[in-house]
Amino acid sequence: MTVRLTPDQVALRDAVRELADGRIAPRAAEIDTSGEFPWDVVKLLAEHDVLALPFPVEDGGLGGDLLTVCLAIEQISRVCATSGLILAIQELGSLPLMLAGTPEQRHRWFPDMAAGRTLPAFALTEAGAGSDVADIRTSATLDGDLWRLDGAKRFITQGSVANLVAVFARTDDAPEARRAHRHLSCFIVERDTPGFSAGKVEHKMGIRGSPTAELHFDGARVPDANRVGEVGEGFSIAMRTLDRSRPGIAAQAVGIAQGATEVAAKYAAERRQFGRPIGDHQMITAMLADMATRTEAARQLLYTACGEVTAGSPTASRWSAMCKLMAGDTAMAVTTDAVQVLGGYGYVTDYPVERMMRDAKITQLYEGTQQIQRLVVGRDVLARGG
Amino acid sequence: MPGAIWAIAELDDDGQPTRLAQEVATLARGLAGTAGTDAAGVVLGAGEATVQAAGTALAAYLPVVLTVDVPAAAGHATAAAFAPALAALVLDRKPAAVLVGASPDGKDLAGALAALLDRVVLVNAAAVRWTDGAPRVEMSTFGGRLVTQSLPTVDEVLILVRPGSTTAEPAARPGVVTAVTPAVTDALPLVRVVERVAAEAAAASIDDARIIVAGGRGVGGPDGFGVIRDLADALGGAVGATRAVVDAGWIAYSQQIGQTGKIVKPALYMAVGISGAIQHKVGMQTSGTIVAINRDPDAPIVEFADLVVIGDLFEIVPRLTAALRARQA
Amino acid sequence: MRIVVLVKAVPIVGNERLGDDHRVDRAGGLEANGNDEYTLEAALKLTEAHGGDVTLLTMGPPPAAEALRKGLAMGAARAVHVSDPALAGSDARATATVLAAALRRLEYDLVFVGADTSDGLGGVIAPWLAALLGLPYLSYGSRIEPGPDGTTIQVRRLGARGYDLLEAPLPALVMGTQVLGEPRYPSLRGIMQARSKEIAGWSLADLGIAPETVGAGAAGSRVTSTALPPPRAGATIVRDAPDAAVAQVVDFLAARRLI
Repeated sequence: MTVRLTPDQVALRDAVRELADGRIAPRAAEIDTSGEFPWDVVKLLAEHDVLALPFPVEDGGLGGDLLTVCLAIEQISRVCATSGLILAIQELGSLPLMLAGTPEQRHRWFPDMAAGRTLPAFALTEAGAGSDVADIRTSATLDGDLWRLDGAKRFITQGSVANLVAVFARTDDAPEARRAHRHLSCFIVERDTPGFSAGKVEHKMGIRGSPTAELHFDGARVPDANRVGEVGEGFSIAMRTLDRSRPGIAAQAVGIAQGATEVAAKYAAERRQFGRPIGDHQMITAMLADMATRTEAARQLLYTACGEVTAGSPTASRWSAMCKLMAGDTAMAVTTDAVQVLGGYGYVTDYPVERMMRDAKITQLYEGTQQIQRLVVGRDVLARGG
Repeated sequence: MPGAIWAIAELDDDGQPTRLAQEVATLARGLAGTAGTDAAGVVLGAGEATVQAAGTALAAYLPVVLTVDVPAAAGHATAAAFAPALAALVLDRKPAAVLVGASPDGKDLAGALAALLDRVVLVNAAAVRWTDGAPRVEMSTFGGRLVTQSLPTVDEVLILVRPGSTTAEPAARPGVVTAVTPAVTDALPLVRVVERVAAEAAAASIDDARIIVAGGRGVGGPDGFGVIRDLADALGGAVGATRAVVDAGWIAYSQQIGQTGKIVKPALYMAVGISGAIQHKVGMQTSGTIVAINRDPDAPIVEFADLVVIGDLFEIVPRLTAALRARQA
Repeated sequence: MRIVVLVKAVPIVGNERLGDDHRVDRAGGLEANGNDEYTLEAALKLTEAHGGDVTLLTMGPPPAAEALRKGLAMGAARAVHVSDPALAGSDARATATVLAAALRRLEYDLVFVGADTSDGLGGVIAPWLAALLGLPYLSYGSRIEPGPDGTTIQVRRLGARGYDLLEAPLPALVMGTQVLGEPRYPSLRGIMQARSKEIAGWSLADLGIAPETVGAGAAGSRVTSTALPPPRAGATIVRDAPDAAVAQVVDFLAARRLI
């Protein structure tokens, strides 16, 4: 399969790039230093229908496919990883409904999300259940015709600002259910539900404008109409969601790498040492070449993975894990090299590359650590003999 | 003998042939001389007295001037009123080439005339020479990056002539003016002029200015144009601008130079605070001498200017104006 | 108001080339004529305010569809693309004939044409079309508004000394300038919606036009030669402090007898 962007994908990519360069880039440094969630960027993205991209047309969305959404995430992340994440989470938080929600549920929640009036969050991780997703302890118990949620989530992106959260909770304690991965269910919990609250917001190395929060469920009750998919389908929904959301994180990572490469290239063309631009010195030239090549490789793998996932390939999980694995490691390596190219100037906050390096790290950690991605890929390699 | 060469003369607000009309008349006279045929001018207007006076003025340039009174042109957009009368005249007398000045009115008239006569139009003529029994048209295409020569493939043509094709020069002695009344058979829908609104102080035209001082985004705002105007005054030139500046409302569209504005060819073009992007470049790159004042040494304009001053235009331009005035004193 | 907006696809400014046959090489990138988007914007604003929709019409080789795509993304409802290999090398006369034939197959209250850019087809197509179609022609528009009772159109015609306010009954043909106002950027919604908008393809056969009446063979003129203008010598660059710089400029201008 080869990837050629269609003319409207090119038009869309360029339109988002223009918006990012013009309106988001000037805010990026401040978003990082203040650590404040950029509501103005949410508004901007909403106004320009960027947040509408993932949603169906009949719900007010733009009906964009996975590649189209990733193109937009990449362009925004080039200038601000926190801002790129806003679109990535708009998609991540809505995926359970996309994959397993009823038409009524989708029509109920999607219009506001497409309009950017509602921000979602995806609450899977707990203090004791990170990579080991199956070990989730938050419980959901049927009490009359309401589900009662008890427990806590940790490291939830946008948890403190979301209007609705897709929460994964244990609905069956039986060991057989656990073994069969039928022990979890998924619920939509809206912000003002009594018994639901956001707790501590983490201080982080990077993507500092994106609030990462604890969520507490103390007898929070939601109607059965808020259950997404079958009882016991939660684990499957979570895994299928991640297959589709990992490319979004890969897009964020590719964007970060691209942005860092551009800053480094511009610097290397202007900064002169030993009588010439440092870009002419071979060690720097080589670094820039490697940065660009690796970024392009990660990008092409991402675009291909999007096509495979959209086409419903039986190896979608493997593609998704591969592209996130590649992109995350690339972003870390490229941003580290970008700091190196800028030398001392790369270490100080006057230039954006130190922020990009700090931002890059998370792409190796969330939506499944690189180690988890390697497990997914490695197991498939063994199963298929290649 | 080939058919005659005609010049259609546009009139200004005072009822006199415009400078462009004088150039086209001179061109027609010259072509006719080379071709060994007759030259004639045609004046269309509303009112006998008007066309008579204009015809007399045009006769300074041509041996024969035909005047056509088109009363319907009064209070209407002129092209639709003139074209049927002119078409009838052309069909009756069969000139080989009809030259029209490429002004807005001229283009409107040429288009309507071409439709009525189903005739070939050679457009954008920067120069016309009679070669091998036909008018050879020189065109500058792609904003001056290329110069082409074209010959018509038919015997009867319309030619739209740009300003500056030739220098207007009266003939040795004035020609004869004759009023004619062509038998008009066609009609085009007339468009009513509801009112005429005058602009505030109209700026000096850049169309044929010898010197142009143009400002771009670097000028910063409508006030910044004050330093540009002062320099233009000191040089005796006209003020020009880029599209960005016009779109921002700092100056009128009539002063815009570039792809969607005017193409100019002054002897001196001073580009102040102008980056030299291609859409502007195509409007001025054939200027005799180009001097750029810009704070950015990597601006594209550096590639095609003759002299580039790197610096703050607000430091340099006022000093330049003062130095020029001191020199004149 | 049903408005047909003519879009002319021209070589991207700066990338223009002539082919070996001295004709404009349209195989390279094409974009909409500089003033077409201003005119399209005016049409979109009118239909948004007064109802109706906008149809785009272009004549050109297949890559001309690019210019249409952007117009659809800006908000035009549909497009018609007249394309036929026999059209290559058509002159103004053939172009006007073909466009008129296409317009006769469409229904409209207004036809909008963007003013030709400085070295386009000389500004003759718009009046030519109007005359062929028997439409009132209002040119060099800087503002376009419906007349008071909705059956006429009023256009401010830009002049050197102000403007004339013109009025004509519908249907009419209006030629618009840049002064109409900045075109909108296509929104993301517009870009995505454009995918499902119709671009109808019409050939010469569809228009009932004989191929030998158009194209290079029927053109009224032919290019006999091309030449490059003389190259410019490189720039002298002055970086001195303002007073010293100014002195050099004055000397330079004096040496060239410009002052």
